[in-house]
Amino acid sequence: MADLVDSMLDLMRRLPPTQVEENVASLVAMCPDYADDLLGSVDQPLKIMTDRATGKEYLACDYNRDGESYRSPWSNEYDPPLEDGTVPSSRLRKLEITANEAFDTYREMYYEGGVSSVFLWDLDDGGFAGVVLLKKVLNAASSTEPSGSWDSIHVFEAAERGRQAHYKLTSTVMLQMTDRAITASEGKESRDSDKPDAKREGEVVLSGSMTRQSEQDLPLHDQASHISNTGRMVEEMEIKMRNLLQEVYFGKTRDIVYDLRSIDDLEKARRQRELQKELVGFIKR
Amino acid sequence: MESQQRIEAVSRFLLQSPPGEINDVLNDVRNIISDDDSLQEGVLPALREYNLAQFITADVPGHNHQSIISDSAKVTNLSGAGDTDEVLDRFWDPRSRTSFRFDHISLEASEPEPIEPDAASEPFRAALEASSLSYLTAHFHDGVASVFPAQGFASRFYIQIVANKYNPSNFWSGRWRSEYIIDLEEKQLKGKILVNVHYYEQGNVQLSTTHTVELPLPPTIVPSSAASSASKVLAVIEVEEEMGEKTFKGLRRALPMTRSKLDWDKVLGYKLGAELTSSRGVMSAS
Repeated sequence: MADLVDSMLDLMRRLPPTQVEENVASLVAMCPDYADDLLGSVDQPLKIMTDRATGKEYLACDYNRDGESYRSPWSNEYDPPLEDGTVPSSRLRKLEITANEAFDTYREMYYEGGVSSVFLWDLDDGGFAGVVLLKKVLNAASSTEPSGSWDSIHVFEAAERGRQAHYKLTSTVMLQMTDRAITASEGKESRDSDKPDAKREGEVVLSGSMTRQSEQDLPLHDQASHISNTGRMVEEMEIKMRNLLQEVYFGKTRDIVYDLRSIDDLEKARRQRELQKELVGFIKR
Repeated sequence: MESQQRIEAVSRFLLQSPPGEINDVLNDVRNIISDDDSLQEGVLPALREYNLAQFITADVPGHNHQSIISDSAKVTNLSGAGDTDEVLDRFWDPRSRTSFRFDHISLEASEPEPIEPDAASEPFRAALEASSLSYLTAHFHDGVASVFPAQGFASRFYIQIVANKYNPSNFWSGRWRSEYIIDLEEKQLKGKILVNVHYYEQGNVQLSTTHTVELPLPPTIVPSSAASSASKVLAVIEVEEEMGEKTFKGLRRALPMTRSKLDWDKVLGYKLGAELTSSRGVMSAS
């Protein structure tokens, strides 16, 4: 029943992104038969895990999960340990190690903190696929500081075609931000009088996810080219999506708010237009 | 899952509906539950709660304007009677002195009856209403305002404003709700502004802002409320822009610290160099 999954996905597209985990959990409880379809199609915030061997943090998602365990990109070990957990072929694991180092540099340059992980897996047709994960959490130092998190999930497929490789990239960015503002006093004078001061509190919560795709053919000199090729594509995509989110958050939402309520007096503007019309009519006569 | 639990889960979904999308959410859950009979009955409390909280509007029967459906609009506030089934879904529009039954599924008003307001508070309420309506015309493109007296308080009033804009063909919708409690005795104004925006073109982005204010009342009431409303809007925008400056940049720089894109060959080069010396040219294979 693809119909049912469509309804679930439509629902997830409408309900607040801040509630995605609870909502997916209750949909799974309602329709356990479609749990895999749903979990595979709805992006949820990435979980941060710590590699037991290296003490380094990594990200957990559906792509490095086997049963209840998650594989670390640093030690290649599963947590909780799995004896026969799926791992990439040794050739691909070597590429995976290098990719993790490269994207760790990228993460430091763009995010100044956060966690990154890259996972690769072999495809049946001889090519391979992978996912680049980046996450940064901004904790508020006090209740009036902004807090938020950024999660990006870049899934790609690579197909080698001689000296070239064809890449298909699907990127999802999940963003959540909360900002609070409290202003309490109107200055000392009003405090002395028995009149209470004006108190204002504001909270803005922005949350959302966005998905975009791109495809490219890029030259392939050696296996390492896969990393620089996907690296450039991911970088381009993140810049594009960051600008897009910024545009939606700070441009689009403000436009919509202005569409609901105008700061300028609309009645005055209406009268002005009437007057103009009258004048035009008068001149034409 | 038990049928009761399913209804509870579905009710939670409905209460989270973005502006103007409750029918889409309802259609989705109908398909998921595929049991219309139990759904229809089970979700009525959730729909009622949603409509009251979201300031859904009704066309007042026999009149050319709309009125807000909310807790303050219940006729029981006027009569002082309890919430019996009979009066549970009856609301009133003080502007036209009409009470009506409201259907929470079809959103239609029916069975209009004339209703007499409380004589003591009506003159001031009516004055507040007139000012609110002209304020509404001045600042809202397509809004509805209602002013209700508070039950048991001759000098307390609720001003409620709602404006909606739904644009499904461009994948966005927005709702503005504001409510002010004006207490002449306490000489106080308490207000709250709620703005929700949903943008869902190839994604799902939602903004929700809450702005609350508590002010001692100046001698002239409605003009002051109008002015402070405008400054509240600016506060919302200010918060947003402040966040634009701070939070967003804190999360991810527009460009790397070097202010230019990464040189991926170099990034690889460094790592590869280290790798090549420690192992045996892992990347030259195949």
